[in-house]
Amino acid sequence: MSKSSDLIQGTLDLLILNSISLEPQHGWAIAKRIQQVSKEVLQISQGALYPALHRLEQQGWIRSDWRLTDGGRDAKFYTLTRAGRTQLQKELAQWERLSSAVGLVLRLGASG
Amino acid sequence: MKRLLDIFFLRLRSLFGRSRAEHELDRELSFHVNQQMQENLARGMSFADAYTAAKRSLGGLAQIQEECRDMRRTNHIENIWNDLRYAARTLARAPGFTIIIVLTLALSIGANSAIFSVIQGVLLRPLPFRQPERLVRVYFQSDAQPKFPLNPNDFRDFRERNRTFESIAAMTRRDVQLSGGGTDPVMLRAFSVTAGYFGMLGLKPARGRDFTTDDELAERGRIAILSDHLWRGRFAADPTIIGRTITLNAETFTIVAVMAPDAQHPGNNFQAVADGDTVDLWMPYSLYQMPNDRGSHFMDTIGRLKPGITYAQANSDLSAVLEQLKKEHTGRGWRIYTIPLYQEIVGRSQRMLLVLLAAVGLLLLIACVNAANLLLARSSARVREIAVRSALGAARGRIVRQLLTESLVIALAGAILGTLLAVGGVRVLVSFLPADFPRASAIRLDFTVFVFTLAVAILTGLLFGLVPALTASRTDLQNSLRESGRNTSGSTSQLRLRNFLVVGETGLASVLLIAAGLMLHSFVNLLRADPGFQSQQVLTASLSLPYQRYRDPSKRVQFYQQLIANLESLPGVQYAGAGSDLPWTGYDGNADGYKIEGRSDEYNQKTTARYHVATTDYFHALSIPLVGGRFFDGREDANGPFVIIVNESMAKHYWPGESALGKRISFRSRPEEKDWMQIVGIVRDVKDEPTSTSIHNAFWMPHAQQPARDLLVAVRSAADPTLLASQFRLAVRQLDPELAVADLRLMNQITQAALSTQRFALFLVGLFALLALILATFGMYGVISYSVNQRMHEFGLRMALGARPWDLLSLILGQGLALSVAGAAVGLLCAAGLTRLLGSLLFGVKATDPLTFAAVALLALATTTLACYLPARRAAAADPMHSLRSE
Repeated sequence: MSKSSDLIQGTLDLLILNSISLEPQHGWAIAKRIQQVSKEVLQISQGALYPALHRLEQQGWIRSDWRLTDGGRDAKFYTLTRAGRTQLQKELAQWERLSSAVGLVLRLGASG
Repeated sequence: MKRLLDIFFLRLRSLFGRSRAEHELDRELSFHVNQQMQENLARGMSFADAYTAAKRSLGGLAQIQEECRDMRRTNHIENIWNDLRYAARTLARAPGFTIIIVLTLALSIGANSAIFSVIQGVLLRPLPFRQPERLVRVYFQSDAQPKFPLNPNDFRDFRERNRTFESIAAMTRRDVQLSGGGTDPVMLRAFSVTAGYFGMLGLKPARGRDFTTDDELAERGRIAILSDHLWRGRFAADPTIIGRTITLNAETFTIVAVMAPDAQHPGNNFQAVADGDTVDLWMPYSLYQMPNDRGSHFMDTIGRLKPGITYAQANSDLSAVLEQLKKEHTGRGWRIYTIPLYQEIVGRSQRMLLVLLAAVGLLLLIACVNAANLLLARSSARVREIAVRSALGAARGRIVRQLLTESLVIALAGAILGTLLAVGGVRVLVSFLPADFPRASAIRLDFTVFVFTLAVAILTGLLFGLVPALTASRTDLQNSLRESGRNTSGSTSQLRLRNFLVVGETGLASVLLIAAGLMLHSFVNLLRADPGFQSQQVLTASLSLPYQRYRDPSKRVQFYQQLIANLESLPGVQYAGAGSDLPWTGYDGNADGYKIEGRSDEYNQKTTARYHVATTDYFHALSIPLVGGRFFDGREDANGPFVIIVNESMAKHYWPGESALGKRISFRSRPEEKDWMQIVGIVRDVKDEPTSTSIHNAFWMPHAQQPARDLLVAVRSAADPTLLASQFRLAVRQLDPELAVADLRLMNQITQAALSTQRFALFLVGLFALLALILATFGMYGVISYSVNQRMHEFGLRMALGARPWDLLSLILGQGLALSVAGAAVGLLCAAGLTRLLGSLLFGVKATDPLTFAAVALLALATTTLACYLPARRAAAADPMHSLRSE
């Protein structure tokens, strides 16, 4: 059983961590936010989102609690933990390195 | 750190708050669906459409739930519980299979635990002394003598001058007779020890005081320390015993202490007493009783190294002292030989134990292969079950885990049963151990053994479960589901695997069989080998005349002459004789540097022989034949001329090509005419030990001229010699009612005890080999029977096409034979490399003895062929109509 995701392995974690780095969010909002910010390019499949959230929680990067939404509904909010914040920094740095490296290779390849 | 704690609580919550976690997951997901629905409604969808679309966007709800559950790792634990229940149910459904596999494992795991508990007790448990790794045995060594005891005066110098030992002490055996108190006199195993002996070992008296250096003075020496068992057994644990007197060897001794119950003897080499709770009593050694003697060696020496000192440093320190001593006195070619006490005690049993461990390990391996084979056979019957499970969404890893759980359950059941077997097995093992086996009292099933058993069980379960589990989980789904229970193509690779396992199993069993065969062969050699004397129909005992009452040598001669005359007059008695020792009783009185008439001093410095004392009929009583000259005739005079009898080895060694008769030797460096001892007889060689071919030079002096007090008596009887025992006691009591009769036993028992190590190892390895052969036969039967079942249809066709039963029979037998030939070949190759490890356990057989190898190969072939016969006959009886119709 493969977990279908168009995203590069591990990128989903980065996106999730990043989108809750400012304030706690529930799953729906996280998915929506990634979708909107990426101008609808990144569509987070729900089938991938929730297992990922649970995995991150089990790893201790994020923490969950039940809060009321603006609409007054009960929802499970995810908060970045201190360890999660460090992890996010690490993954961001790694992503920067990777993407700039890939970009470099592609540009050089095209111009050469 | 906080993160780890969080994780821990989360896991706990998802494990125990399982329903709550499930509920929360439901709420979370339904919130999501709800939001999606709101959005859809906002876009203007109808309510029904909005709901369906929202559900669809979430994908398979159940799948997400399952994945989320997977993310909460504790699933594993829940799964394990489910797997366990499932495994128990499946196994209970196939009781025959389960029982066979559990029993074979129980046998081999139990055997492993039992052998391991022996190894744990003997090799792994620390010696029962304080910081035992710092204890060292100290010996002299020369070209002729590998381990020689120390001289007391030399010992004193070593004690004073060494710089590497915290303390150093010596002991020498001095068995004494305890009499008085209204009971029969008894012989006690006793040692004279130097001051500080107990402290050096870390032993303390339970009551009373230890010996001091003052006690080493000759006039202070009449005190004794009792062992705990003597105190309880003979003195009813009398708490007022300290200060009381007892009669030892007709002298009065004062008891100054009782040792603690755990005070063990560390074992000694000269006139050896095995280690353990084997000593009854200790006396102080009077170090100053023979101030000028540097020639007598009888002190067994042990030292405790100072912290941080290595064995090599200790050795060179003592060697430096020895060099000084050589300058101060006339030292001969001695060197210092040190060996850690641990090595000294367990060294000789190490090899045997490791061989046993290897054998029992092989047995376990065979049981594993056997179990794997059985599981494989069964997994083919479960192909559909597994296919259905994976069709229902079970991942491969999940199925592997399920199957592994089953094999672990089997292995653990085997371990529990095996432990029960081991509890009984260890008791039997210990009771069968050779009499002088080191540290037998330390052998028991303890916590370490249980941990070992558990580890072995888990390893075993993984080992035999992994291959079948991986194979089974790799099943082709479609094929298996489509097929209606019949196996065809998918099973060829499986059959190949099973063939491979059977070849391995047969090979391993052959290795064990060869080891057992070699040991049996060498045991037969030992039994057949001519020991040089006849042990049947001989009763033996040891007597010790107390010095106090037998100061006069002529009284000793008189006593033994009278006793022997009385014994020989008993009905049925043919000969009675006495000597300083009997063959194979561990005697080691050595004479070095005696003078041979007419040889140079340089030559004479290197002479060496074991010296013995014998009465007239000693050789007759043991049936040691005369080769030349005459026996002692009873007319030897205490004042000479002195005569001796030598063995063939000595005669040939010193007088090659000429007759030794009439030649003379002397202990004196400047012998006068009367000091010479003339050779009057030559007797046949007696092997030093039954398990080696070495024969030392030896000579015997007549008791009349060398009136020793302690002799062993041998009585040869035409009737059953055991019946003589009471008459023997009576004969001794008539002459001296104060005298104890010790070690009353048959010469047969002595010779058998001398072979006990070999017998013990042979018995166990033979037992393991037999079990291995049975397992391998089972394995072969299983594989052939399985393949016959698979091919019944084909056989029916063949029969229909004109094949005769014999064709099918030989086809199947051929298949089995091919497997067992391959197995035996593998086994022989492995054995050729491995049997060298048997080394000293073999006697008169090379580790690659072709006869044994051939015999074992034949045996393996014969049994496995037999195992093929039943299935082969079934194939031959195939009814073509039946097979074809069943299609």
